Amino acid sequence: MNILPFFRSLVRGLSRKKARAMLMMAGVTVGIASLTILTSIGESTRRETMKRFKNMLGTFDTVIIRPGSSKNRGMVSLTNVEPSLKFEDAAAIAAQVPEIRQVAQIQNALDIDVKYRDHSGTPAIFGVTANFLDLRGDQVANGDFITDEDVRSLTKVAVLGADASKQLFPDEDPLGKIIQIGDVPFVVHGVMVARGAGPAGGSLDNLIFIPVTTASKRLFNRDFLTMLIAQLEDASQGQLAIDHIQALLRTRHHIAAGALDDFNLTNPKAVMEQVTTMGSTIRKLLLVVAILATGIGGVVITSVTLIGVSERRKEIGVRRAVGASRGAILLQFLGEAVLLSLAGGIIGITIGVGGTQMVSKFQRLPFLLQPAVVLSATALSIALGLLFGVYPAWKAAMTNPIDALRD
Amino acid sequence: MIRLEQISKVYSRDGVPVTALRDVSVAIDSGDFVVIRGVSGSGKSTLLNILGCLDLPTAGTYLLDGANVSHKSDAELSHVRSRKIGFIFQSFNLLPRTTAVENVGLPMIYADQAVSRSRAAQMLARVGLAHREHHYATELSGGEQQRVAIARSLINDPSLILADEPTGNLDESTGAEVMNILHELNDEGRTIILVTHDEALARHARRVLLIRDGLLHESEVQA
Repeated sequence: MNILPFFRSLVRGLSRKKARAMLMMAGVTVGIASLTILTSIGESTRRETMKRFKNMLGTFDTVIIRPGSSKNRGMVSLTNVEPSLKFEDAAAIAAQVPEIRQVAQIQNALDIDVKYRDHSGTPAIFGVTANFLDLRGDQVANGDFITDEDVRSLTKVAVLGADASKQLFPDEDPLGKIIQIGDVPFVVHGVMVARGAGPAGGSLDNLIFIPVTTASKRLFNRDFLTMLIAQLEDASQGQLAIDHIQALLRTRHHIAAGALDDFNLTNPKAVMEQVTTMGSTIRKLLLVVAILATGIGGVVITSVTLIGVSERRKEIGVRRAVGASRGAILLQFLGEAVLLSLAGGIIGITIGVGGTQMVSKFQRLPFLLQPAVVLSATALSIALGLLFGVYPAWKAAMTNPIDALRD
Repeated sequence: MIRLEQISKVYSRDGVPVTALRDVSVAIDSGDFVVIRGVSGSGKSTLLNILGCLDLPTAGTYLLDGANVSHKSDAELSHVRSRKIGFIFQSFNLLPRTTAVENVGLPMIYADQAVSRSRAAQMLARVGLAHREHHYATELSGGEQQRVAIARSLINDPSLILADEPTGNLDESTGAEVMNILHELNDEGRTIILVTHDEALARHARRVLLIRDGLLHESEVQA
């Protein structure tokens, strides 16, 4: 058989039944387009969620301890927490829980006015210990972070988040300058590297770090903390550490058996896993929908090709009479199905990529074109044509040429 | 060229066996012009299909150019059809939505030789339809369609032309034109086997065979 002319005649044949070809392509196009969008968006959503959680929580091998029994997901601050978590609790956890390497203490407040000359703002104020930097995995862009010595001597030094720095010092080097936090003057010792967006999409850089002791004694006059971050010796021991911390804090806070905790403990890794599993469940569901759509496209290929076979019995008879073998007829109809399916698939991929771009823009996700998705969508289109074209093609090949010519 | 030895064909129609050919034995020389006459249902189409390698006999031996084709595979038979046999049908059987020249070129796709559009155009010119190359089958008259079909049957240069009532759908004068072309092909040395119920066509033949109830008889030479 002459492959090239055979192929040309296939394309010519298809172009003569445009409406039908469109119908056959449409199903595959819709299926492949939705599949492309869903897998691309699903993947970039997953990655973006991971990134935002990482931005907010820093390292994952920690247990986060917050005051209050409910796990409220909002931003905690001095004004909205129970005064149950004390400095001594932090020291006790660090000393007595074997799974914990170190504990960072945090006392933070919102809505404090900060001024530098005629620039002002209300960044979040974070009183922290020196190990916060290490635990969060943050980096200082300029100058130094809070030191242990600062914490010990209650120095009035401040380290600015990237946004706070821009706000207060739009056109000056902040290092060494004196800012007013509330009524208290602080010397700027450093500026942080930007952390980017959090899970909700907001900035994580509009804040100022000061020594936690200075915050407690010189600024806020509060002796309780808003959060502790306890670093695990081993990331896999999260649950064990939570159990031990819970027991220790209940004893220290004299909580009766059966009463609720006045603190709550979370392991970011567990939360993270929960979020991503949820994401993947939705992804699976969407994938099923997309596969269904593609399957329907396939069934359309089968039924339309079958109609074609019964309409073209005479053509099959003629082709057989002039020398076509059963194999050649099989190849013809299978070739038509694959060609249409592939064409539909390529249109689908194009639409899918365009759709992905649109959804990405809309949801402010990074546009992520994965070659694997494009490749597997192409392969899937070909496979669909083969799978759903093989039965009609086989029927065409098995058509008795004598009966077909007699029709 | 053709030797049939005790060819039988039994069909199963709705589970009932129907004998279409009974022990048909005949030899047809290369370059002959044979008319096989018979009424409808006599078995003449079955015989033509077996001669054309579209169908296999239930029993017996068919030698074509010395090769036994009675037990060949589908692919092998297709190869034989492609190279050695040209079919002409009563209802022309051109592909719809396909131009005359594409119809003529169709058999080349399934042959070993390279596909040549100019060769298809030549064949069309040969049957007097050079000006109809790009016309679709539906735009042609019956006589023209049959001439396209003849050009198609010739494209792979077969030695055997099988015609099944080739003038059955044509009026007398166009039918005569078609018969003239068949005579020309015969003059080139091609073997022509024509199947018909029409007694009048028998006068074109060098040899006439009669078929009745699946049995083949020699008739006296007419012309």
